[in-house]
Amino acid sequence: MTRGVTIFAFNNHQTDYLAMAAWSAQNIHRHLDLPVCVITDIDDATRTANFDQVIVTPSPQVQQHRYFYDYKDSGVWHNMNRSTVYDLSPWDHTLLLDADYVVASDQLRVLFEIDQDFLTHRWALDATGYPPFADNNYFGSYRMPMHWATVISFRKCKTARLIFDSMQMIRDNWDHYRQLYYISEDTYRNDYAMSIAMNIVDGHTLSASAIPWPLISITSLSRLTQVDTDTYRVEYENSNTDNRTKWILLKQRDFHAMGKKTLGEIVANCC
Amino acid sequence: MNTEELIAHSRSRFDHHQARISVREKYQAKLAFAYRGGLWRAGPELHSMITTCGRTGETVLPDLYDTPVLVDVAELLTQSQERWHEQMTAWLVEYEELNKTR
Repeated sequence: MTRGVTIFAFNNHQTDYLAMAAWSAQNIHRHLDLPVCVITDIDDATRTANFDQVIVTPSPQVQQHRYFYDYKDSGVWHNMNRSTVYDLSPWDHTLLLDADYVVASDQLRVLFEIDQDFLTHRWALDATGYPPFADNNYFGSYRMPMHWATVISFRKCKTARLIFDSMQMIRDNWDHYRQLYYISEDTYRNDYAMSIAMNIVDGHTLSASAIPWPLISITSLSRLTQVDTDTYRVEYENSNTDNRTKWILLKQRDFHAMGKKTLGEIVANCC
Repeated sequence: MNTEELIAHSRSRFDHHQARISVREKYQAKLAFAYRGGLWRAGPELHSMITTCGRTGETVLPDLYDTPVLVDVAELLTQSQERWHEQMTAWLVEYEELNKTR
């Protein structure tokens, strides 16, 4: 059985996701000792040298726009083809990571050693404890449990195929599902579609298995800097207390850098 | 009373508290380990389950996903205890570093 990591990287005018993915591939090789495949629309061997496999595919035809708080600007968000990973990923057992997920430990390696066909994070939390993240772990007026699409471990099997096929169906009929689940945002989100798909495939039992530790997140409200290899400093303010700047260190700990700007700066300084 | 000193102390404790939570969460996550296709969390709860199951040799125990797994009792206990001690020691080292920094 082949095993590896797959990352989608479609740049927009603000963020060089391919550079992020290439930087991440180095971290993945170092900590997880796994091959990395990138799925991108950039056919440039000099920019994809860090990857073990490169799949060049056109960027999604349907484009979404969203507001990025750290850039204080709207940008194109190429997130509509995530569900194609089942067919595109070359591995029998794939760990699908967002380009802005920072691997700083070997924590994810255990997911390849257990008999589970499809796993995601059920719970995300902010490493700083602020802002409170509890509401982000549910979506829609019915507070459906959120499964985060940032890290997905799946094996090529019927369950995974049905989940990704269902995601495509939900994406193609997003207005219908948005109304069905009372989701106020217009924007299509993979997290929502995947959560709905997982629940359908699980027979609407809300019993999908999850990665048994939380997804550590750093929002765009915080400032992220790299202190050392695998050590990051997160500065933040908490308006609930006194607005002064506080900080914590993340040492050898994986996390989701939701603020693309500061992660982009770290990547740019490294390369 | 020196309120400036009190405020400074209180702020420092607030920051320290969040850092402690963050480090604890990190080592909680690192307690997870794989054995015979199941996922387990090293710690007293698992050690109790293994030692009170009343079996030597092989037996069936539920993993973190409530999947029954055929395990070798001694092997699983050894792996769990090793993982527990390794991560608790690492936690202590980082906790003491944190205390010095703050």
